[in-house]
Amino acid sequence: MERLIAAFSDLTGTEGVIPLSLAYAVCIGSLLGFITVYAMFAIWMERKVAAHMQVRYGPMETGGWHGWAQSVADALKLLFKEDLFPRDGNKLLFFIAPAVVFCGVFAGFIAIPFAAGIQIADLDLGIFFIISIAAVEVVGVIMAGWASNSKYSLFGAVREAAQVVSYELPSATALLVPILVVGSFRLGDFNAYQAQHGWLIFSGPFMWIAALVYFIASLAGCKRAPFDLPEAESELVSGFHTEYSGMRFSFFFLEEYASMFVASILMATLFFGGTTLPFNLFDLGNWGDYADAGRLAAQAAAANAPADLVAQAARAAAAVGPFSDLGNILAAHLGIVVLLLKTFFFIFVQMWLRWTLPRLRVDQVMAMGYKYLLPWGLFAVMGTAVWETYAA
Amino acid sequence: MEALEMYAVDDRADVYTEELKLNLGPQHPSTHGVLRVELRMDGEIITHSRCDIGYLHRCAEKIGENVTFLQFNPYTDRMDYLASMNNNLAWSLTVEKLLGVEAPERAQWLRMTCAELNRIASHLIAFGTYGIDIGANTPFFYAFRERESIMGLLERPAGARMLYNYIQPGGVRRDVDEHWVDDVLAFCDDFEKRWLEYNTLLSHNRIFIARTANIGILTKDVALANGCTGPVLRGSGVKWDLRRDVPYLKPYDEVDFDVPVGEGTYGTLGDCWDRYWVRMREMIESIRIIRQGCARLAEIGGDTMDKQMKRMYKTPLEPEAGEAYMRCENPRGELGFYVVTEGGKSPIRCRARAPSFCNLSVLDKLLPGTMLADAVAIIGSLDIVLGEVDR
Repeated sequence: MERLIAAFSDLTGTEGVIPLSLAYAVCIGSLLGFITVYAMFAIWMERKVAAHMQVRYGPMETGGWHGWAQSVADALKLLFKEDLFPRDGNKLLFFIAPAVVFCGVFAGFIAIPFAAGIQIADLDLGIFFIISIAAVEVVGVIMAGWASNSKYSLFGAVREAAQVVSYELPSATALLVPILVVGSFRLGDFNAYQAQHGWLIFSGPFMWIAALVYFIASLAGCKRAPFDLPEAESELVSGFHTEYSGMRFSFFFLEEYASMFVASILMATLFFGGTTLPFNLFDLGNWGDYADAGRLAAQAAAANAPADLVAQAARAAAAVGPFSDLGNILAAHLGIVVLLLKTFFFIFVQMWLRWTLPRLRVDQVMAMGYKYLLPWGLFAVMGTAVWETYAA
Repeated sequence: MEALEMYAVDDRADVYTEELKLNLGPQHPSTHGVLRVELRMDGEIITHSRCDIGYLHRCAEKIGENVTFLQFNPYTDRMDYLASMNNNLAWSLTVEKLLGVEAPERAQWLRMTCAELNRIASHLIAFGTYGIDIGANTPFFYAFRERESIMGLLERPAGARMLYNYIQPGGVRRDVDEHWVDDVLAFCDDFEKRWLEYNTLLSHNRIFIARTANIGILTKDVALANGCTGPVLRGSGVKWDLRRDVPYLKPYDEVDFDVPVGEGTYGTLGDCWDRYWVRMREMIESIRIIRQGCARLAEIGGDTMDKQMKRMYKTPLEPEAGEAYMRCENPRGELGFYVVTEGGKSPIRCRARAPSFCNLSVLDKLLPGTMLADAVAIIGSLDIVLGEVDR
């Protein structure tokens, strides 16, 4: 962000508002573009994953190759649909609710480091910011449920409020564990730390518990199965967005997939090495020693790192040679690829669970959060504190 | 105890919350058709429920009084449209009883085999849609894959995939082709493997058990008092199956099979899981019956339609004045047809005792005190077909 402002101020030769707003426009535009494209891909992926688990093919026609353009076609269709509004509903709340819902998750994206330097705002309290801004979503859902003037929507909204608020506790508690180890709330620091010390998931016996607790709690936070109660279609028709259609409905969809992305990328960044490959094989953030690239690649192959990545790294290292600038750029890009691969792996796990598991009942969801996840999360925090003090 | 009562506060005294009236259906995804349940809710908990049926009423019984005996056969297809073979069978047996004829032996064995295949298809729907009710979407597609095979098998003799009109008064409409028996046996082998997959995926899933065990407990007395039959009654531990107790087809007397009943495996006897599990085990029992049926079909030959009944297809048949009642074990319970005729081409009274209708009558007793999500689980576990409830 600061670099963008500086670049624009150089470009326009002015200071203050103009470069600032230009930089904002670029950031917001690129994020919106990224989320939209990602969501379309994720929806297509979800349909494909579901279909292949259910002995079907899923979309096959639109766009030619495996129906890749199905989501694009759907988005276009939704854009052209009539903007319906339920009679006797609260018009204002009904119309702004999808925006409020989307804003919370969207704002969370600005603190995410995709790679060293590729980040809109490097906040000191990045994790804290993402958790707290995501809670804005609940307000939007309650607005949507109330304004719809439908009993099913209201049920969905109340369930959502109860569930998301309850599951913020275990998920925040679980996130404290890596924070304890790294000693920072800044997401960029996690990449740097893990580049140096290896993946956090392997540091200490309590990190596994924390990762598991966070993953389960994030499922509930994203309203994914088996915690998809707010939109449980077999009970509540469609939950809080029953009365929505067209573009406003698609914003709820966008929000769901965007929050899946945030949860997964947090999981990848905080527990599974972020932009780094396992066991600190080669440090992608500071990939300077090109003479050793061949040796590193051999090591990587020996340690069963993903073969294509190893080959890619070896080729890249051989090709760039002494051009360290180009090498750094490549390294940063490879970091993004690694991070996105991990993120999509966790997104895939979320889809996998959704198409495998039945749905819990509302009281069972609450019991799960308060009776199991929260105590385990607290246990992991205590355990890590003790472990970090005495063992590490 | 007294000390405790001292602190007891009537939380309704100062906080009054209004009850919410919620219409579950008729256009709700989980009411298995057009059932409407009027619920009064206290938060997520149901305090009172009232079933409202009749959205799919098609005057089936009245139609039966206006068409000939044979013409009514396809109408029975459309009552419990998931178990058409069994409906055809019950109507055909009623007409045969009225006329005093009996289907030839090969027809009897074909009837039994087809009816059992249809029973599996019907239970597969119950299994798949129950998964969806609980929130697991994938079992549905697996169930439909196997159901598709069954429909393919039944299509070959019947010519239709869902509403067969195959079993007719006097026998069956046509004989099966020469490879049919082998293909049915191959399906049986395949199905047993798939059945184990279903159990891994859904039946013994922890979440599924948490959602269905101890939910919607139907006691033996209530089940009997309300005329419940089929898996709903057997889920409550009553070993009553017409195929075993009143063999309406001769082959049922000769084949060897068990009658599964609920045992309260994961919860209380008569809960949703028990009813579900009875259906699952019945599928395997049906496979056993089909195997024995196929073995016999490979041996015996002969006609598939009673000779004196064949003329019925040319001139409408006019049985002598009288009445007949026959009941059959359908996938959903006892289907009975009561026919009174005064000697005309059509009966003057035609009445169907539909199992879904009787099973549904316990719903209002099961719902109060449960949660909204349980209501869906309970309706699903009763496995109703609204085409049969309303007729």
